[in-house]
Amino acid sequence: MSAAKKRGKAMTVLIDNLWWNNPVFIQILGICSTLAVTNNLTNTFIMTVGVSLATAFSSWTLAGMNTFIPNKVRMIVQVLVISFYVIIIDIVLRAYMPDVSRSLGPYVGLIITNCIIMGRAEAFARSNPPLISFWDGLTSGFGYMAVLMAIAAVRELLGFGSLFGIPVLSAAFGDRFVPWTIMIMAPSAFFLLALAMWGLKSLQESMKAAPPAAGGAKPQGSAK
Amino acid sequence: MNRNSTRYTVAFTFIVCAFFVFFLALANDLTKEKVAANRRFTERSSVLRALGVPFADAGSVDSVYEKEVTELTAGSTVVYRASAEGVPRFARFFSGPALGGTVFGVLAVDAEVGRVSGLQIVSHNETPGLGGRIDESWFKDQFTGERIADAGIRVRQGSGKGDGDSENAEVDAVTGASLTSKFMETMVNGEIAALRKLRDEGGLK
Repeated sequence: MSAAKKRGKAMTVLIDNLWWNNPVFIQILGICSTLAVTNNLTNTFIMTVGVSLATAFSSWTLAGMNTFIPNKVRMIVQVLVISFYVIIIDIVLRAYMPDVSRSLGPYVGLIITNCIIMGRAEAFARSNPPLISFWDGLTSGFGYMAVLMAIAAVRELLGFGSLFGIPVLSAAFGDRFVPWTIMIMAPSAFFLLALAMWGLKSLQESMKAAPPAAGGAKPQGSAK
Repeated sequence: MNRNSTRYTVAFTFIVCAFFVFFLALANDLTKEKVAANRRFTERSSVLRALGVPFADAGSVDSVYEKEVTELTAGSTVVYRASAEGVPRFARFFSGPALGGTVFGVLAVDAEVGRVSGLQIVSHNETPGLGGRIDESWFKDQFTGERIADAGIRVRQGSGKGDGDSENAEVDAVTGASLTSKFMETMVNGEIAALRKLRDEGGLK
């Protein structure tokens, strides 16, 4: 494959994972953590960075070992590699960032169960070389991060009146600001995620219907 | 060799497991001392904060702790004593079940067990952003100087922003975390009862 073609593929993977084939609002993966961690931007950011790194490194490793993995134990090996990287992240956080480790608590371990990681391992890393698989994992993580950060910004702003823990609404309105308690709790993520899916999918539909922009990515997602 | 033969599959799985587990064990071993040091730092700084003993920065925790805090052994438990502004205060580690796992913390009181001096959380497994907010300062600070009623301290539904009244023996629960708040109430009152027992046995001196 020529260098130019490779760049083209990397770009396609990026646009796919961020937009046309976004893991959250198109593939509907990683929803459990979307509901759970998004009431606070700081936790969301750290969690999504963790997922991006775990997806990137496990996709890279699995793509590298692909020709040696027996079919019968394929998924067992995938889970082994994924949990290996997640435990490494957990150990690094506990040793070098104890405060972050304390505030994220059990969620670091739960990265293992994030469906996006296994989804990318099955759908992409199995049939692609290591480097592009790494990129695919990383950009899938970014697509996940973009949606979660947007939801977390709304939830933290309305639920706590702050952004990244810095008072915004509560500082501007003082006691007149009444927090939307529902925004702190999981159900609000259902509403917001559904609204986001509705809006973004409608936008995609209208983009597909419109004449294609010059140099734009093709609507039909998968970068195989 | 046939990639799908049983022999290959078993050998491959064995080798791959051994390989990754080796590196995990290595990483764990290399960071063991650092993790233990972090844990000791968290415990000591929590004891100091609960007792109301000021320390300048993270580096001075060990020296302040060794200078100010006396570890008393009362029966099978260890009570930590320090004097802030000439008044002796006593702290003890507590732990108990909550929604997501064990909460481990430290509660400090005065010699009569009439007021809380401070509450700190050492570790917990509660949901971040919900029950995990028991580790936020607004929740913990409510306990500082709180009067202890006969029935202990009540964690009740309030504004969710913190209860400023330190005479009512009540603190605000965490919004969206009723169960974690209830578990905290049980834990704190259990600890108060244990400290009262120690006081009656003459352990808080």
